[in-house]
Amino acid sequence: MKEQLSALIDGEFDTHNADHLLIVAKSDGELRRAWNEYHMIGDVMRGDVVLHRNVAGRILEALDEEPTVIAPAMVKASRTDTKQPFFKKTAFWSVAASVTAVMFVGLMLLQQQKAEQTLVNPIEIAESMPSEYLAAHQTYAPNSAAYYIQSASYTEQR
Amino acid sequence: MLRWMLACGLCCASLNIQASEDPWLALQKTAFAARELNYQGVFVYQNGNQIRSVQITHMNNAGRELTRNVVLDGQPREVFSEGSDIVIFNAKNNKVVIEKRRGQNLFPAMLPTNLDVIKSSYIAKLGAVERIAGRDAQIIDLVPNDNFRYSYRIWSDAEFGLLLKMTLLDNQNRAIEQIGFTQLSMLNTHELDWFQPKIDLSKQYVMEDETTVNHVSNNWVVANLPPGYRKIDHIEHIVPGKSGIVNQVIFSDGIASVSVFIEPLKKGMRAKTGHKVVGSTNICAHVIDGYQVIVVGEVPAQTVQQIAKAISFNKQPTTTANK
Repeated sequence: MKEQLSALIDGEFDTHNADHLLIVAKSDGELRRAWNEYHMIGDVMRGDVVLHRNVAGRILEALDEEPTVIAPAMVKASRTDTKQPFFKKTAFWSVAASVTAVMFVGLMLLQQQKAEQTLVNPIEIAESMPSEYLAAHQTYAPNSAAYYIQSASYTEQR
Repeated sequence: MLRWMLACGLCCASLNIQASEDPWLALQKTAFAARELNYQGVFVYQNGNQIRSVQITHMNNAGRELTRNVVLDGQPREVFSEGSDIVIFNAKNNKVVIEKRRGQNLFPAMLPTNLDVIKSSYIAKLGAVERIAGRDAQIIDLVPNDNFRYSYRIWSDAEFGLLLKMTLLDNQNRAIEQIGFTQLSMLNTHELDWFQPKIDLSKQYVMEDETTVNHVSNNWVVANLPPGYRKIDHIEHIVPGKSGIVNQVIFSDGIASVSVFIEPLKKGMRAKTGHKVVGSTNICAHVIDGYQVIVVGEVPAQTVQQIAKAISFNKQPTTTANK
């Protein structure tokens, strides 16, 4: 079955046995994992998706746990009231390094995310509404009869 | 077998008498019938200028619900569901893309099985009996208590309780979305040979890129939700055609649902604002604090507008995990 999976990814799979496809698509166990692994390998080989979404999620989670905003202020404050030069303490450097690293990643994310507010020239959605929002709503909202017509406006654009 | 069917018929008939007294009881029967009965038929879905015919086969095999939907118009598309697992075979040019989805209340199982959630927002009323797809159907109206949702007219099979047709009516009582059987028959078999896709040998079958399904809990809050709406899910995913992560928060009053999309406005991205109607769907775009907010739902304009404006970022990280 695993061979067939990789054959399927490579587009060589003999498709006349529908059961296999259904099983692959529905299974949650080992096959599914195998599928995901193969799939990811394929992505990496093609150079798609460098930063996997999960990684980004983990960074954001780490940022949440890390007192990013408070930490630099505290380091600054403690520096003024210690006699021994703070810079000589190795602990400072390791803390600072990790804070900087987290801040750097955080800054990158923030810059990427908020950038500048491109409000100068907003688009009226009445003129041009990207259909992907409608499609995503129809796909994930719990009660949507529009599920059936999705192919009309959605898939043809992909 | 004949005796069993007769008993079943009598049972349904007695339920029917009760149903005519209490519209909620009739709705309850309708909600269960779609999930418990075995049937095959063709229904038509119409929204705005879009029309699709779909062939459906549904079977409840000892509590295991199996459905096959074959879209008969336009691009070939088959939707299989087993319980809450949905697998879609979607023809695109020379490929068939296999997509996996999670459970939805697909026609005719559109009513929630727990009707308590909609009782505070809607009033149920029994109407006349009309003929739909060759069968007698009891009309049940779900009329909203306020202007934050549309009303639903439901035609429920007078004998079996199956939902035969449903119409979404706007506040001027105009039908803006309709879905209903044109042909229907009850199945008296437990054969599952129909539960497989029609395979086109000339096409390549590929799995869809799994880009989605991260159930998260984060800091987006809607301070002033319209009454009756609750947050039911929050996913973060890559919407096809978009480069970054988009948060989708889903709200529902039990039957109507609204999606809120939130994404940071990036460099070079033009903000979207304004309002649009597509068939029965109202869409409102808004910018809050450097974020693009887009609200989409089969609800009145004022509902999407209120939700769009009431969204804010909660600075205190929430600790409760949702799902």
